[in-house]
Amino acid sequence: MPNAPADNYQSKVDKPDDFDAFWEGVLRQASAVALEPEMIPDPLRTSEDIETFQVFYTSIDHVRVAAWYCRPTRGARAPAIMLLPGYQMDPPIPKEWARKGYAALSVAPRGKLRSNRQFNPGYPNLLTHNVVDRHTYAYRGFYVDTWRGIDFLLSRPEIDPARIGVTGSSQGGGLTVTTAAMRPEVRAASAGAPYLCGFMDAVELTHTYPYEEINDYLRLHPERQAEVEDTLAYFDGISFADRITCPIIVNIGLQDNVCPPETGYALFERIAAADKRLYPYDGHGHDAGRARHTAVVDAFFARHLLGREVSR
Amino acid sequence: MSEPTPAAVRDYWQETLAALARYPARPELEPLPLRSTPFARLFGVRLTSLGPYRLFGYLSIPAGDGPFPAIYYAPKYQSVLEIIPQGTANLQRSRYVTFSLAGRGQRNADAPYAAMFPGLLTDGLDRAASYVFRSIVADSVRGLEFLLSRPEVDPARVVVAGNDLALMTAASTPGATHVVTTPALFYKTAALALKTQAYPLEEINDYLRAYPARAESVRSTLAHFDLLRFAPRVIAATLLMAGAPGSLLDGKALQPLAAALQGQVTVYESQQSLYKDGLYAERWMAAQCGIADVQQILPQHWRD
Repeated sequence: MPNAPADNYQSKVDKPDDFDAFWEGVLRQASAVALEPEMIPDPLRTSEDIETFQVFYTSIDHVRVAAWYCRPTRGARAPAIMLLPGYQMDPPIPKEWARKGYAALSVAPRGKLRSNRQFNPGYPNLLTHNVVDRHTYAYRGFYVDTWRGIDFLLSRPEIDPARIGVTGSSQGGGLTVTTAAMRPEVRAASAGAPYLCGFMDAVELTHTYPYEEINDYLRLHPERQAEVEDTLAYFDGISFADRITCPIIVNIGLQDNVCPPETGYALFERIAAADKRLYPYDGHGHDAGRARHTAVVDAFFARHLLGREVSR
Repeated sequence: MSEPTPAAVRDYWQETLAALARYPARPELEPLPLRSTPFARLFGVRLTSLGPYRLFGYLSIPAGDGPFPAIYYAPKYQSVLEIIPQGTANLQRSRYVTFSLAGRGQRNADAPYAAMFPGLLTDGLDRAASYVFRSIVADSVRGLEFLLSRPEVDPARVVVAGNDLALMTAASTPGATHVVTTPALFYKTAALALKTQAYPLEEINDYLRAYPARAESVRSTLAHFDLLRFAPRVIAATLLMAGAPGSLLDGKALQPLAAALQGQVTVYESQQSLYKDGLYAERWMAAQCGIADVQQILPQHWRD
């Protein structure tokens, strides 16, 4: 087995001085756009115990964003979980979370299937779409789309606004970090194999897609390196990490060939929350120990959102 | 409606492949400099399949003198088409010709038909003649035919990799010398769907809950696609990637399938680690294709 990477990796991410001002400006622009939430029942995917809806809401630049929403058919006000998708995956229908007692929203940020009518840079390509300009970079809107998911949850009367969690793996892990950082309504977060953290570290540590998209871009446009690095610093999960104050758990695979574990360590070190815990899984790749870790995540959210201690 | 007879299934697929053969592929290759490297050139490929329907794929050709071993990545069950699977070392493209294909409905092959995920698995499911996967199997066959037409490919070393479609493709047209298959959609589907609430098989459960009167016709359609019907025509050496012990598609569950395959079969049960499972498959393909220095084309975090 390969040697596990050092846990004291020094990331090159340098948080820009005007990072907070940049994102406050973006949030201001987003807040001027009405959410216009729409919930369409999906009888095909609804059963006796779980109601399923197709959800749509409007995000920054007036892009209409799709999501799946599942909730238990019975019960009082429910805690909520927002699920965030991987880079290439199609957002799943979150029935499994609804069966555990949560109202669950699975967001398809712009460019994903069902959210790609107004914005569709494609895969591969999303990672480098307008990467030389932070004001139009693909992830500016993409991040906001996920944060607006919290606004959708807050608009629902069946949801307890004091019990909202967020989770995802890979890109979903990175988006969990950025959402927990930017939305104080998030009370608990679980990030797996976080992507979008240490972009410029990762392109040296691994040569696999999707990060390889950046290497492809810089091979063709080497003169744009400084602009690329400048933009990505505003979008790096490591730059967001010191804004996180809610309880958070992070799991990484020490043989992760997609999101290098070194970047997971660097992210975790920068997270400001007092209640944080890292789960490194040796012998695991981009699954980040999912088979074992699922029970950890379940217990974590049960404790923070359901008020239940679950023995494992 | 009863289970289709073996003869009916054979006729169904013979007619499908005959219909495919009526459309020439007419491939167009376009260089993609953004994804080309000093060790491999990448091309976008457009080609015609059953319908007629224009498909899209990514063809990567190593630098240097061939012929090279080849990996054909059959269409996946997702909207996105990858050049090589996520997490694969880009250097894999230095040793193999690789070709990944978007079946109809996937990105870049989504006009006029844009598939939904979930949703594709049940599109037209109540009639075998119009079930979308009849055409997608034809698409996948067309992709392998195209790859085999390339002069850079060593026809003695052609791996077809993917989910169920990898095995179905290898059974439906000659040319695959090796298969890496991870069954997920079409092995005893009607029976196994009842045992899970997880997608994609949950799509079948959703469909039958909404349309209970169609249960018989659904079972009949799925019977045309069952891997057990294809396996006796697979003579390639096959790596059968099973689920972890105790899971729905573990080694024990897939034993009848392994027994029905006609070539040499290796059954690998998942260790629930994408590192361990992926490493096994990479090493197996390299060994089968005579690539001695597999370490050089593994992801950095997998190297010893």
